[in-house]
Amino acid sequence: MAATKSQGRSFSLFMIGVTATAVGIGAFSSGMGKLALIAGLVVLAASFGLFLKIKPEEGEVADKGQPTVPRLAGVLAAFLGWVIVLFGLNLSTNVSGRMITTLIGIAVSLVGALVLLPTAANKNAIWKA
Amino acid sequence: MKIFRMASATCMLAVLLLAGAGTVARADAAPSASAAELKDAASKAPTTATLAAGDPGGALTGTVSDVPVSDSKAGLSLGDVANQVGQNKIGINFTWTLICGFLVMFMQAGFAMVEAGLCRVKNANHTYMMNFFVYGCGLFAYWILGFAIQMGGAAGNGNLGGLQPLASEHTISFFGKTWGVFGQSGMFLSGHSYDVGVMVIFLFQMVFMDTALTIVTGACAERWKFLTFSVSSVLMGAITYPLFANWAWGGGWLAQLGTNMGLGKGYADFAGSGVVHAVGGVTALACAMIVGPRIGKFNRDGSANAILGHDISAVLIGCFILAFGWFGFNPGSTLGASAAGCLRIGSVAVNTMLAGCTGTFGALLYMWVLKGKPDASMSANGLLAGLVAITAPSGFVNPICSGIIGLIAGVLVCVSVAFVENTLKVDDPVGAISVHGACGLWGVISVGLFADGTSNYGGAWNGVTGSVTGLFYGDASQLVAQLVGVSTLVGFVFGFSYALNWVLDIFLGHRVSAESEVGGLDLPEMGQLGYPEFVFTPEPATLTVAAQAAVA
Repeated sequence: MAATKSQGRSFSLFMIGVTATAVGIGAFSSGMGKLALIAGLVVLAASFGLFLKIKPEEGEVADKGQPTVPRLAGVLAAFLGWVIVLFGLNLSTNVSGRMITTLIGIAVSLVGALVLLPTAANKNAIWKA
Repeated sequence: MKIFRMASATCMLAVLLLAGAGTVARADAAPSASAAELKDAASKAPTTATLAAGDPGGALTGTVSDVPVSDSKAGLSLGDVANQVGQNKIGINFTWTLICGFLVMFMQAGFAMVEAGLCRVKNANHTYMMNFFVYGCGLFAYWILGFAIQMGGAAGNGNLGGLQPLASEHTISFFGKTWGVFGQSGMFLSGHSYDVGVMVIFLFQMVFMDTALTIVTGACAERWKFLTFSVSSVLMGAITYPLFANWAWGGGWLAQLGTNMGLGKGYADFAGSGVVHAVGGVTALACAMIVGPRIGKFNRDGSANAILGHDISAVLIGCFILAFGWFGFNPGSTLGASAAGCLRIGSVAVNTMLAGCTGTFGALLYMWVLKGKPDASMSANGLLAGLVAITAPSGFVNPICSGIIGLIAGVLVCVSVAFVENTLKVDDPVGAISVHGACGLWGVISVGLFADGTSNYGGAWNGVTGSVTGLFYGDASQLVAQLVGVSTLVGFVFGFSYALNWVLDIFLGHRVSAESEVGGLDLPEMGQLGYPEFVFTPEPATLTVAAQAAVA
């Protein structure tokens, strides 16, 4: 189906929602600002509802979906590595110790990003069909 | 005798008073002399009648009479002259920063040509349009929210007048230290942020942000739904990029690693190998994993097929446009051409050129020796790899190290492209993940290795006195700070981008239909072919067979 008027309308609604939300955040100290924030979030939610409604109109995509659990594990591993680095900076006060914990954290993140997630992505890859 | 003593005391008092008056007179004489000099200079300035006769040599234009006078009755004063000196410094810095920003904006054209040239003709309109519209999406998102998050707490830059309206950074307390997390002023450039200095920094930072956004379009080209690309770009410009940029450049916690933890000068990224290119590269990796490979890219046994681009001339010319724009990217990051070490702009520009040169050599020779041909598209990527890698260290290293950094990047990009394609099985039509992600991370690390400690940007960097110095010049802690930045890019930015785009995939779907992908995105997505009057040769059979299977 590709690009349609429905897509145009939903994107316009999204942009209105984003703008109103930003106005609300910027003017949050005032009553009008709070109102704008609520309105903006409502419009944003409506736009995402519209996105979901028109999504099937796109037609059959080649990708058959990726398994959720391995994807979640990969994302969490990426975050975990970063958290290890942050806490590791406070475990040791010398440069060598901090270097080691930082490298360990980077390695954990890379396992998530370059091992778990690609494995999930290729599980039902279109070239395996 | 008594009268004699009184007379002597009176005389001594008179002498003392006269001496004091003389001193006061001499002290008064200094300002009187300079005021007299100013008045004399003003009187000797060319008259209107003289100037009306024309000034072909330029010797008569730009004199003391062009200095604004605050009190016309008192005439020209030292204060007037001092004020003009300050205005000149800020004016020079504004002009330099803005012109450099204009150059970086023009890089959008370079990116568009490189990406479209590496894609097939049936997707040309769509690919060009993504690069065209990403400018609008990013600029709007940055104006309404992103700039405030990134620079809302960045006050204190003396090059641009102080940027005092941007003095609101949200902080948290962590392990006994205060850390900046995001800015809170500057939304819509309204209120206090309607300021001449803020306008300059907004323009300069915005074009950097848009570079990061456009990187993602290359990795997902030829199968990314235009609607989802638009939404993803708005969110990246409003949230993802500004967050990391605040941490590195906006007074955030990464920059504070030096002051809070004694790690070198904190995370140092002169022009954005990490902030711009690696953010774009890791986001590109996340999106490419979610979108999936193009139909026909991989065979059933996992081996990859080369899908050739339709216009190598656009690729190579686009690369030159990018290289030209990079003269704004790196040297412009001094945010000035006057004072505070800004005269180093020539060094930064030369470092940039050299790294691009050796990057080209690295990639071209790698391909020529190992594959037998000096491949044009990989040579182009080699140039870009060198430029990406030098972006972070360009203000801190010497020319020899610049050459080394670029050469390593040129080889690294070739290795990375093969790794991404053959090992990860991630399809990246233009090599964006390798050029910007892998080489961007290399650029971040190279600061921690090669920074030579000779730069002097106002005597400090990130609030730590001294010059940025890397491991090879005596400071291992700087490398640790850089690695913390790498971890944040690979761990937080990649993870956040993946999660965000995963949500978008649930609600919108990233990928076009198989039918649209096989027929080309130009007609179904954009309503018009990129080259409507041309007749093109059919695609190779391997791609057609896979396409039929995908659509069936």
